[in-house]
Amino acid sequence: MQNRFLPYLLTLPSLFLAAIVIFWPVWDLIQISTHDVSRFGQLRDFNDFANFATLTADPDFMAALWRTGQWTVMVVGGALLLSVPVAMILNTDFYGRGIARVIIMLPWAVSLTMTAVVWRWALSGESGMLNSALIGLGLIDHNIQWLASAETAFPMQVLIGILVTVPFTTTIFLGGLSSIPDDLYEAAALEGATPLQQFREITFPLLKPFINIAIVLNTIYVFNSFPIIWVMTQGGPANSTDILVTHLYKLAFRIGKLGEASAVSLVMFAILLAFTMIYVRLAMREQRA
Amino acid sequence: MSLAKWTVGLTAGMSMLAIAAQADAGEVRVTVAEYSAKTAPYFADVKKEFEAANPGITVKFEVVPWDVLLQKLTTDITAGTNADLSIIGTRWLIDFVQQDVAEPLDGYIKPDFKDRFIDTFLSPSIMEGKTYGLPIAASARAMYYNKELFEKAGIAKPPATWTELQEDARKIKALGSGTFGFGLQGKEIETDVYYYYAMWSQGTEILNKDGTSGLGTPGALEAAKLYKSMIDEGLTEPGVTSNNREDVQNLFKQGKVGMMITAPFLSNQIKDEAPNLKYGVAAIPAGPTGARGTYGVTDSIIMFKNSKNKDEAWKLLDFLFTTEQRAKFTQGEGFLPVNKEEAKMDYYVNNADLAAFTALLPDARFAPVIPGWEEVAQITSDAMQKIYLGGDPEAGLKDAAAKANAVLKK
Repeated sequence: MQNRFLPYLLTLPSLFLAAIVIFWPVWDLIQISTHDVSRFGQLRDFNDFANFATLTADPDFMAALWRTGQWTVMVVGGALLLSVPVAMILNTDFYGRGIARVIIMLPWAVSLTMTAVVWRWALSGESGMLNSALIGLGLIDHNIQWLASAETAFPMQVLIGILVTVPFTTTIFLGGLSSIPDDLYEAAALEGATPLQQFREITFPLLKPFINIAIVLNTIYVFNSFPIIWVMTQGGPANSTDILVTHLYKLAFRIGKLGEASAVSLVMFAILLAFTMIYVRLAMREQRA
Repeated sequence: MSLAKWTVGLTAGMSMLAIAAQADAGEVRVTVAEYSAKTAPYFADVKKEFEAANPGITVKFEVVPWDVLLQKLTTDITAGTNADLSIIGTRWLIDFVQQDVAEPLDGYIKPDFKDRFIDTFLSPSIMEGKTYGLPIAASARAMYYNKELFEKAGIAKPPATWTELQEDARKIKALGSGTFGFGLQGKEIETDVYYYYAMWSQGTEILNKDGTSGLGTPGALEAAKLYKSMIDEGLTEPGVTSNNREDVQNLFKQGKVGMMITAPFLSNQIKDEAPNLKYGVAAIPAGPTGARGTYGVTDSIIMFKNSKNKDEAWKLLDFLFTTEQRAKFTQGEGFLPVNKEEAKMDYYVNNADLAAFTALLPDARFAPVIPGWEEVAQITSDAMQKIYLGGDPEAGLKDAAAKANAVLKK
């Protein structure tokens, strides 16, 4: 009897904490988003989900929603593709591995906002380092205005997003790789398996749970990531690099539409919740099978 | 324990926190905007001098960067933890008055206090006959031009009209070597304002007489076409939509830009950062009919209705608006004087840069006092960015005018 209740009892404190930290604000958001709300957050009448209706009719919101999808898929996907080989290299024994690991992890130690500020300078059209480097190397003959339009600004933001996501992802994979026993590779090598076969038959399957964790955590993190896009373009020019979180910030604190902003926030919450639940369910079923 | 008891307990705990955060008797909390590196030291001095002169009153200044000021105020007011006084952009004041969070100051203002101010700058803070704020900072915009580039290009004097400005920009562009005729701002705060300079010179106002948006008028279209043609001709710096005000100012300080329109504080920055730059300040160019307009801005310091220390707070306001204090603040930040006595000081009278700004004041337009102004400004900035990036001016303005009118109707 006691054994059945013990787990629930033990999770009770953290459940209570989660209730304060998560459920309370969400409840508040639901209140704000379903009411007519003043410039400074005082609730007025319930307004029949008018805030949500306004959102779906707003082309800027729909564009930001679609762009958030692209942003998340590209940054998370790019970081995963890059992190697997990086982690595998860092997992092998070579001279200077310690330094190499530090260099890979370094972007993690710098605040995201600061990284974005530095890149904003580096991408400046007339006095940016990237342009002078590219001209110095003879790759271009005139300055590129990186942040002037979404065609160049958004890909750069994705690249920077990938760059700052790699350290965390690599760390997860390094943990995964070190849990794979060496004798598996030795045995496979004795049987004549090529490195590619070893990767496909040993490394990748055993790394899968770690890849799943990296996908879930990075998706949540990147989906909500504000500094890179805000610092570099503020979602501009003309909202063409807006993702949901920058759109939300403008709605709430530039224009003062707290109701609509709360609605955006809830939509984001719902999307992430649905994604996480579906993905975790799928990943777990696969593991059981 | 029932849910109700939990709620009571939690509320009690929260209110205790709130009380702890609130001011003690005799403490005046002030939220101030950080205009420059000189702001915080100035207010630290104010605290020292004011507290020495007024025993029993302590002052606490919270210095907040401009970019997050409105966000901080919004969250503070929502939570009921706002300060006693705060600096705000006067264009936000209508929201504060309509939401009933600003205290009218008329009960405190004596005729001789009111007489300290230059009317042009005090009037934007007066709404429905009541004074809700005092102009703590005032500024206008004028055109800076690089004298060295003008000389090299053989231009004798700064352009009086936009047609002359285009010709001068062509001559400066012909100098080559990475020089640009006209610095056009296309990003972030005041992107819309930069467009209004051209629009006002066409005789078009932000709001038509009937209260609708001026963006749909022929004058607005002419102005947008003017800027677009200058971009297409290469008379501006490249990548207009990647340059905010600071970026264009930096290009000017580097001597790369022939002309740009900005605020008086650029003079202070040039003095510190590019002392060898030879520049002049002139009027904003006029349009075909001679119409011209500059942007006048004031920031107001307001008192909150829920302040518990209004009398003490007023004493501080009275102190801040003495001629001596005003002069120290205004000169440090590079603003325009709002006090009549202060404006008579040698510093302003003998300052050619500032004279150019004050000469433009009769043509100054302040941001219209309407709810939803920030949204209209955002719509205008977005429309301009699309046009600067190559969009069709006519379609872009029509769309923006429709959106702005929808906001204005509310």
